[in-house]
Amino acid sequence: MSQAVAQIAAGVAFAGGAALLAWRYRLGLARPLATAALRAALQLAAVGALVALVFRVPALAVAFVAVMVVTATLTAGGRLGGLAGARTAAATAIALPALSATAILLAVGAFDVSARAAIPTAGILIGGAMAATTLTGRRLLEALATGGDELEVRLALGDAARVALAPLTRQAIATGLIPAIDQTRSVGLVTLPGTFVGLLLGGASPAEAARVQLTVLLALLAVELVAAVIVAELIARACVRAGERIVVPEAARR
Amino acid sequence: MVANAHSGGEGLELREVALALAGRPVLRDVSCAVPKGRVTVVVAPSGAGKSTLLRCCNRLLEVDRGRVLLDGADVATLEATALRRRVGLVGQAATMLPGSVRDNLAYGLRDGDDASDAALTRALAAAGLDASFLPRAAERLSGGERARVALARALTRGPELLLLDEPTAALDAAAAAHVGATVRALAADGLGLLVATHDLGWAAAIADRALALRDGVAISGAPAEIIGAVDANRGAFDADSSAHETSDGGAGAQR
Repeated sequence: MSQAVAQIAAGVAFAGGAALLAWRYRLGLARPLATAALRAALQLAAVGALVALVFRVPALAVAFVAVMVVTATLTAGGRLGGLAGARTAAATAIALPALSATAILLAVGAFDVSARAAIPTAGILIGGAMAATTLTGRRLLEALATGGDELEVRLALGDAARVALAPLTRQAIATGLIPAIDQTRSVGLVTLPGTFVGLLLGGASPAEAARVQLTVLLALLAVELVAAVIVAELIARACVRAGERIVVPEAARR
Repeated sequence: MVANAHSGGEGLELREVALALAGRPVLRDVSCAVPKGRVTVVVAPSGAGKSTLLRCCNRLLEVDRGRVLLDGADVATLEATALRRRVGLVGQAATMLPGSVRDNLAYGLRDGDDASDAALTRALAAAGLDASFLPRAAERLSGGERARVALARALTRGPELLLLDEPTAALDAAAAAHVGATVRALAADGLGLLVATHDLGWAAAIADRALALRDGVAISGAPAEIIGAVDANRGAFDADSSAHETSDGGAGAQR
């Protein structure tokens, strides 16, 4: 049996086994599990074919990255639902740090200037920026919804609006960074991240895989911090009115 | 530090102030004076616009029409942060900031302010608490203690006027009487106070001047006259109070 057939058979067996177990215990998850597995197979097959095409036509790499940014923007923007300018805020918070970091990594020669290196690097960084944007933005909107009295106290004591908002934005940024910090702290101890595993399976030496993984992880940490700061900054700005007043966005009141 | 002697000042003056919140007219025509060294009470049912009126005085809310003057100067021309240090506000919820009572009292004090324990203790004493409260965790205080710490916190900035929003809402009769005595003492020290309350008996005990709000219009006059008229109309007052119970509380910093 070839390795490809073995991989597919193993995947089908795991998905089928999980669905069977869910059905046996009446969890109501058999169909969702099977559907998710099928969907993942189709999506990865399509992406695989697309990436193969992009690798042959490097100009398509730019379009591919643009699609990733747009998808991430729509996803994160939707999570900030109702906030005026949510998509613009999400696009800025995701694209600016993720694409800048990708460009820096390619420019300094950390990775080859090729579609094969740029696309996965940009993908990981865009995904991280998206997660940090969503988490930080939602946390800040929640804090604005519940922290109206505290904001009023700070304003009434003579704080400028941005000063009054600062504790909420700082807390939201800190929350948004928790997954990235935990991922970085626990790497190799709790999980073996995708880049590392992928390189090992692809035949790279453990040292090379670790080096690349570390580069990506540290870039990811910076990208997620910048994304969190940008989205918090944009939401805070949207709350401030002339005369050092604060207006909580509609999205936060829901 | 606790209260400045400003009895010769003009205080606040509202001229034909109107304001709508979320499309609903809350204040239609409010004109009144809040002189320094005097206690001016605003009596009206919940939802009638008392909280909104107070927040127009320190620009947490901007009026749609009319003017608010502080010592003759339009507050719209003053820097908002400086205005709010001159015109302090103590909200109904008496929300505590994180940390100790000392942290709360010293919050946001600037270089020229006195943040010494002696100064903070004087502010606490003016609000009816002693120095033993300074290290206590603010979040663990009772409702009455919070109300007094919130008052002391506003006093540490050395305001010329104080806006008190339902200061007795969380207090029993004895504590309310104590706060009333504190309010009178602050006025005697030269502070101007604008106190929103729906407790007519308490209002009558502390007021030098009174203001009633009805359908967004202010009627001002001597306390006995205004409070007596509101008391005589108590049936409508109570009905309005329950009808509007939740409609005015959220003015706050939001609009």
